[in-house]
Amino acid sequence: MTGLSRRRRLAAVAVTALCALAGAGCSSTTDGPSDGGAYLVWDPYPQFADDSEWVALLKKCGTSAGVTVERTGYDTTDLTNKALLAAQQGNSPDVLIVDNPVISTLAEAGALTTTEENKLDVSSMEANLLGAGQRDGRTYGVPIGANTLALYYNKDLLTAAGVDPASVKDWTSLTAALTKVKAKGKKGITFSAIGTEEGSFQFLPWFWGSGAQLTALDSPQAVSALTLWTDWLKQGHSPNSVINNTQTTSWQEFATGDYAFAENGTWQLANAEKLGFAYGTIAIPASAGGPAPAPTGGEFVSIPVQNKTDRYAASQKLVACLTSADNLLTTDTTLSYVAPVAAVQERQAAADPKLKVWVEAVRAAKGRTGDNLGTKYPKISEPLWTAVQAALSGAKSPREALTAAQAAATAR
Amino acid sequence: MTTSTPRVWWKTAVGLVLTGLMLFPVYWMINVSFTRDQDMRASPPHLFPTNGTLDGYRAVLDQQLPYLGTSFLVGLGTVALTVALAAPAGYALAKLRPPGGPALSFVLLIAQMIPGIIMAMGFYAVYLTLGVLNTLPGLILADSTLAVPFAVLIFTAFMSGIPDELLQAAVVDGAGRLRTFWSVVLPVSRNSVVTVSLFAFLWSWSDFIFASTLAGGGDHQPITIGIYHYIGNNNQQWNAIMATAVVASVPAAVLLVLAQRYVSTGVTAGAVKD
Amino acid sequence: MTSTTRKSTATRGRGGAANTAPPRPGASRVRRSHRRWAWGFLAPVTLYLLAFYAYPLYRNVELSLREYTVRSFVQGGAPFAGLDNYRTVLTDPAFWPTLTHTVVFTAASLAFQFSIGMALALFFRQHFPLSGTLRALILVPWLLPLIVSASTWSWLLNSDSGLVNAALGVVGVDQVNWLTSPGWSLTSVIIANIWIGIPFNLVVLYSGLQAIPTEVYEASALDGATGWQRFWSITFPLLRPVSAITLLLGLIYTLKVFDIIWIMTRGGPTDSSATLATWSYRLGFGNLLPEFGPGAAVGNLLIVMALIAGLVYIRIQRRQNLR
Repeated sequence: MTGLSRRRRLAAVAVTALCALAGAGCSSTTDGPSDGGAYLVWDPYPQFADDSEWVALLKKCGTSAGVTVERTGYDTTDLTNKALLAAQQGNSPDVLIVDNPVISTLAEAGALTTTEENKLDVSSMEANLLGAGQRDGRTYGVPIGANTLALYYNKDLLTAAGVDPASVKDWTSLTAALTKVKAKGKKGITFSAIGTEEGSFQFLPWFWGSGAQLTALDSPQAVSALTLWTDWLKQGHSPNSVINNTQTTSWQEFATGDYAFAENGTWQLANAEKLGFAYGTIAIPASAGGPAPAPTGGEFVSIPVQNKTDRYAASQKLVACLTSADNLLTTDTTLSYVAPVAAVQERQAAADPKLKVWVEAVRAAKGRTGDNLGTKYPKISEPLWTAVQAALSGAKSPREALTAAQAAATAR
Repeated sequence: MTTSTPRVWWKTAVGLVLTGLMLFPVYWMINVSFTRDQDMRASPPHLFPTNGTLDGYRAVLDQQLPYLGTSFLVGLGTVALTVALAAPAGYALAKLRPPGGPALSFVLLIAQMIPGIIMAMGFYAVYLTLGVLNTLPGLILADSTLAVPFAVLIFTAFMSGIPDELLQAAVVDGAGRLRTFWSVVLPVSRNSVVTVSLFAFLWSWSDFIFASTLAGGGDHQPITIGIYHYIGNNNQQWNAIMATAVVASVPAAVLLVLAQRYVSTGVTAGAVKD
Repeated sequence: MTSTTRKSTATRGRGGAANTAPPRPGASRVRRSHRRWAWGFLAPVTLYLLAFYAYPLYRNVELSLREYTVRSFVQGGAPFAGLDNYRTVLTDPAFWPTLTHTVVFTAASLAFQFSIGMALALFFRQHFPLSGTLRALILVPWLLPLIVSASTWSWLLNSDSGLVNAALGVVGVDQVNWLTSPGWSLTSVIIANIWIGIPFNLVVLYSGLQAIPTEVYEASALDGATGWQRFWSITFPLLRPVSAITLLLGLIYTLKVFDIIWIMTRGGPTDSSATLATWSYRLGFGNLLPEFGPGAAVGNLLIVMALIAGLVYIRIQRRQNLR
């Protein structure tokens, strides 16, 4: 990198000249974490403005740790690159909150400290949630909240179609319900099968619910799961738009009141209250009955590696504060998430009985990078969502699509 | 101009239709900005926001106005820097034609092919060491890289149309090259200056990659970053996103209309007479 | 002075848009000072290029020649891999389809953007009431952040609740899966990209038209030329330098387009709308586990394509200058 220094100097001259021309403006530089002073926190919650409860909590935890907190909310897809780039430049934030599958990538990059190094207590965290932050027996962050998927249903519509939601126990009964709804001239189910991680996330409950494993994408069980989705599209139970739906688009479709079911997450609870009809939730059924394991979503709080190790002490206090029981309750209520600690989950369910279903769903859920897949998961997930897209758009049969996916996953 | 003949009004009508067609997606954006969540994916879609909501605008007016100011400053700064760098270069390449000039134009062409995200990563590394992350001049400088190569090439293409006789006449009058440039070339090129300024402004106004990488964490965030307040981890508030875009385009659209007025009033004639 | 200028431009134009005066022999001292002045005017931009483009370009090349993992991206020490990344990319089964999409996307976008932009520029050149205002309003799409305009297009083209299908339904056409069928997705992103590119072509060509003095037309009107003849014999040749640069820049910007495609279809379904630019982005940034090396290699292939286009442009320009 030494060859760059001359260019950098050249750039420095230019910027300085520009600063001189522009007068003020250059002085207001934000301090890098290595300059001391403010502690930087990056989170994927740009929707929270400076006057939100979340930012208030960050400041409060900063004060109790004896430091000032400077917080930035980034778009979640942007944050992974940002974090890698910052780590490369030795300029990581003091505390980083990221989506759980990103943890294993950042850990692989050597950009995160372990909870052991920083003496963070993770013993109270639910094991299935913590799994996403673990690699080779080491833990790289503390879950701040979890979410998962379930089926929302439109009560009014199901009543009109003569479907009892309690009767939906397996795939056969679900498809039977969809057929009844269609007979009434309404639409069946909407989900998100977009060609990104979101698409894999939504497909996994059906994939796992069929008994398939991520290590064998082309198993007969996996084919049966993809066939289920493909047939729904062919029979008109699902709209063609699911191929391009994000989870938000899919929710907007459900919100029109035309759909009987929607696969969506915990985070929609606040929006669900604004629906123009009565709704309910059931667990996503497995092929042979019972709830299917859904993937866990949600973020982890982590402490990135710093050049100045003396900063860790305050960061540790910050993280401990953010993940203390009371604060988890506040944060997860604002985010519409389920807490990662059993005791706090009980308090959530007690305060809002509707959350009970979700607490159970989260307890049954499974981490995507778990099973010690770690950074192998992204290499499996991309072929998987590609296969889903290929089958739904009619480019390939479910079997062909998954065979190709398995080949792609093992080739890399 | 005889404005009252029916033929001319017929043209206005065609013009209105064409503009309407071009702006239909913009209308749709405005429509969505007023739409309630439950009507967003109504099928068939609502052409008008019946049962509309002002929630999107309420959110935007509460939170977004300071960002507009930043976008304006950055836009104007980018225009100034771009024109200052590119106009002399365009003149030299078009009229003085030094050896090595074509090679330079070639490099300018290639420079534009570097993916934005790679440029942004490069700037990030450099700005970090210089400590100019999250500053206005830093963002202006980065945004200008979107426009400078384009501007030089456009100036070259346009200035090569300036008759040599005009410049020679100026030299005979005893004007130095700097004065020729300042008092002959620039006035004659007013049209291309406006074109370049327009694009420099528009590009910096709609830039997201630089803004997010270089100014995402500071007090100087432009409006494109503001939009990301409505794009959460799992959820997007589309009426607020569209409302932000509407609020962001109104002042800039007014500016465009004014600028265009200024260009359209007899450009070439006025410029040469100056 | 005014009249001389115009006459000379006109003569020049008839001569085929040549813009070069033949170098006058003699006086090498003058030429040397001339050269010094020229580089004086060019110095700021040259320094600017060195300072701000050299490093990213170097970095992109360096990324493509090493075998980067996330670990070595952060910690350094990625082993030199020579042309391995290029080999990986070129032998990937996705390479040829993606290249074809890129060529189709670029050619179709350019052809329509340019001709529609030219038609609009010619139309708006005729001064009529509101012409200035309408012309300015057509630029409004440029003010919108791409995430907004691309999302609006996917909204309009949605299979089930999109306005386009609703309108087609009224005239009895069945639902077209614009974004979700492999047969239509490329067409859909091309349509959106044409829409986004029209204002650029309109503005540049309009300014080019403005630079053509009206006397040229008046003279030909006396000769009794029709509108169509006038366009081909006067307007088009005079506009050739501006057209060439518009097309060249358009080509470069279109090769680079990725946000529109990424937002509308993510390059899918099944890579049916993937171009080299989206592929490069997907490899380098669109996955939880970035593959920087192959991503940068694809990016550099695009730079090479632009390089070839640039060479062709320079050759054409030189031939014109010689004439």
